[in-house]
Parts: sequence; structure tokens; C-alpha cells
Amino acid sequence: MPESAQSKTKVSRLSTWLEDRTGLVSSVRGFLNYPVPVYVHKNLLYTLGGLTAITFILQIVTGVLLVYYYDPSSTEAYNSVDYITYQVPLGWLVRGVHHYGSSAMVILAALHMLRTYFMSTYKKPRELNWLTGVFLLLLVFAFGFTGYLLPWDQKGYWATKVGTEIAASVPFIGPQIMQLMRGGAELGQATLTRFYASHVMLLPALMIVFILAHILQLRRHGNAPPITEGAKKNANKFVPFFPHWVVTDTFFGLALLALLVYLSWTRGAPLEFPADPTSSDYVPRPEWYFLFLFQALKYFPGPLEPIASVFIPLLIFAAMIALPFLDRSEERRPWKKPITSGIAIVLTGIIILLTILAW
Amino acid sequence: MEDDALDPKKGSWDQEALSRRKLLEAGFWVLAGAGGIATAGVATRFLVGDSLEPKEQKWVEVGPVADLEPGKVHRITYAVKSKDAWRNVNREGVIYALTEDGTSFTIFDATCTHLACSVHWEEDKNHFACPCHAGIFSREGEVLDGPPPRPLVKLETKLEDGILKALV
Repeated sequence: MPESAQSKTKVSRLSTWLEDRTGLVSSVRGFLNYPVPVYVHKNLLYTLGGLTAITFILQIVTGVLLVYYYDPSSTEAYNSVDYITYQVPLGWLVRGVHHYGSSAMVILAALHMLRTYFMSTYKKPRELNWLTGVFLLLLVFAFGFTGYLLPWDQKGYWATKVGTEIAASVPFIGPQIMQLMRGGAELGQATLTRFYASHVMLLPALMIVFILAHILQLRRHGNAPPITEGAKKNANKFVPFFPHWVVTDTFFGLALLALLVYLSWTRGAPLEFPADPTSSDYVPRPEWYFLFLFQALKYFPGPLEPIASVFIPLLIFAAMIALPFLDRSEERRPWKKPITSGIAIVLTGIIILLTILAW
Repeated sequence: MEDDALDPKKGSWDQEALSRRKLLEAGFWVLAGAGGIATAGVATRFLVGDSLEPKEQKWVEVGPVADLEPGKVHRITYAVKSKDAWRNVNREGVIYALTEDGTSFTIFDATCTHLACSVHWEEDKNHFACPCHAGIFSREGEVLDGPPPRPLVKLETKLEDGILKALV
């Protein structure tokens, strides 16, 4: 028997052995051979979900690396981040990719959600897929909020101080929420430990569970039927998930990684002066993805503040949760749904406008 | 990988796309391999950091020569300002200093050459003993018994204005 045929037989025997004991081979094969409609494969908007997942993997890899050096104590956190950035070989790159990767995740997750929204793919039977997606978006923001305190620099300290203070504006239970977030009345070591534990333990665990649920839902119901006439012509033609779809996602994933490396190289991940609770001239500003909220607060002064800080965000969240149960029509073409499309366009426009105003 | 059969009611594989399977598989492995190798390279360099650098050496004061009584073994603890990664710390340790004539000095690092426990001097037995695995060293630092593979490490010394110093 030729050598290559012999080694193939060995691989095949190993594969059969593994399959008999675990069933893993057929599961992986089924997962990889999943039929993806051609109209989905040809539309690059459908790479947004995969790209968000790839970015999450990048965040996990760089996050795990950072944990090897990060010191979660209020006296040493800043020094350890400074050490990572300026002393550890390639530390600037690992931290840079993690920093800009968080922004990429917000952008990609939001675009992925907008694509889903405009194509109305949240409708029956994909309600749970939409709901897991809403929670995933919230988790992305929670990652951002807990992450930028960790360097314990001026920005992280003051933005978190203001951010947790906003939670205190919730009627009746606000002060308690704030103290629970901080781990006490003041922002300090307990806050840093809580944020760190959430950022590296709780949130990743929740994220993985929700991503799995999200993908399993997609696999159960498949991609939503096409909405354009052109796509409908290819509705019954399929390509396998691997390699056809995977190679596209991998290509764009690498392109994204190259962009993050470029940003890290040219701009670096910012690190301001160490947190100084006595400074009285520092103007705290949150990360860019919270700027819309920061700007909105300016229009609701004094006792009206909870409207912008609590009620509007809660209303948007509640609307997102209720969406698949309210919008139950068969129509999925965005140009035939002026109300839902209009609401999203106006809301997205307001968020972009507020972000630009606050920039 | 072979393609699983599709339910005819659902549809069919795009045969033209399937003909590119081998090419796309190769493309995937090239892209994923390049990304994986680059990431692994960065991760390895990052994780190794400066962990393989030799220990930073510093001179510490052992004490005035006049205080070192000849014929006796003196146990001295030291603390030297040092950088421990991102922390400024006092690196602490134990050394043993002895002189027979008051002019030449021997200083041993107290670290056992077996598994780095700290040895102690037993005056009545005239030897250094390691509490961990019963290693015994002579007054000259030579191994007398037990598992240590090498003598105690002798530190470099110097005299400055009557003060004995050791390189730790």
C-alpha cells in the first residue's frame, strides 16, 4: 500500500475510534457542513456576526495575555498597565489590539444588530435569537464600562465615578445600586476588584453562554428567507459553512486584525495620568461609545436627569425586547415598513448626532 | 470533507461553488495559519517578557569590618531597593559572613544549592544545615551530607571605608 494511503487509513481509524467514543467527529462534520444559502454567502452584510465573534476571540486572546501582567490593586494597577505598555515586549501591541478591539466590537455588534433589524429577521420563529443578541449587545457595553476603569488612570477613575453616580439617579433604589456597583460608598479598591472580576470572569462566561445560544438558535432555524427578488432566485441553492463561509469571515477577520495592529502602531492605546481623587479640574469623558449618553445628560438638567440616564435607555431596551412580539406582520422588506425603519433611522441618527456633538 | 446529502425539499448544493472547495480549504488554512502563527509569535514574546533575564545584582552593606568578630559566623539579613516588575520593593535575603583573621572575608548566600531553602548555622556542630532536605555544608561551604549538588555560593565582596559589602 502506498505511504499516503497508509497514513490516510491511520487517520480514518483514529477518526472512527474517536467517533465511536465521543460522537464528536459527526458533530463537527455536521457543524462544518451546515448549508448556508447562496444569497447569504454572497451578501457581505452577513459577515458582521462572524466578524463580531472573531473580534470577541481576539479580545479573549489579548485579555488572557494582559491578565498575565495586570495587577488589580488601586496602588499598582496603573504601574502594571504602564509596564505592559512601555516595558513588556510587544505589550503596546497586545494592549492596543485589546483597546481598539473593544471599539470594533461595539461597532460590529451594533451594525450586525441594525442589519438584523432592517431585514426583520427577529420575527417568528427567531425571537430568541434576537433576544440573545440584545443581551449580547448589553454585555459588549458592560465589557466596555468595566474595562476602562482597569488602568486606574484619570479617565477610568473619573468616568467610572460619574458613571456609577448616574446609576444613583435611579428613583428610590439608585443609591443602593451605586454602592453595589462600587462595592461601598466610595470608588476604591473594592470597585476595582468588582470591575476586574466582572470583566475577566463573569462577563466572558455570560458572553460565551449567550454566543452559544445565539449560534444554536441560528442553526436551529437557519437564515431567514430572502427578501429581494434577486436573492429569491438563489433561495434553494446552498454552500457549506466550511470552507465557503468560514474563509470569507477569516479573510475579513485578518483584515480587521491588520487594522487594529495599524491603530495600535500609529495611535497606541491611551493611558492618562494616574487616577487622582483630589484633582478638581479634570473633565471626565467616557469612551466614545457612551458619548451619546454623556451628551444627552446635558439636555436634562437637575431633577430631569433620570429621564436621559435611566428612563430613555430603559425604554429603548424594553422596546428592543418587545420588538419581535409587537412587530408580527409578514412583511420584512424595510422599504415597505416605514414605521419600524423610520424609528431605527431616527434613533440611530440621534445617537450619531449626540456622539458627534460630544466628540 | 465530503458533502452531506441535502433534503431535496430544502434545496441543493451549488455545484459550481462546491467545485472550488479544495481551493477555498487551502485558502482558509493559509489565512488561518498565517494569523495563528503571527498571534502565537506575539503571544510568546509577550509572555516570555523579561522573565529569562538574569537577576539584577546590587551591592549591599554587610557592616563595619570592626564588628565582624574573627572565628565566628555572622548571620546578616539585608533589604535592598529593587524593581520587581512594575513594583518598587525591598528585596530581602540572608547571608553569612565570616573571617578567620580579620583581613580576608568570606560571605555565603544562605540559599541552599539543592532546592533553594535558606540554610542556618549550627554553632555546636560547626556546619550549615538546610531545614528542608537535611543538606549539610561545612564552615567553608562544602557539601558534607545530603542532596545538595554544589557548595554554598560565595558572594563577591569589597571593602569601602571600613565597611564590608557583598554583591547580591
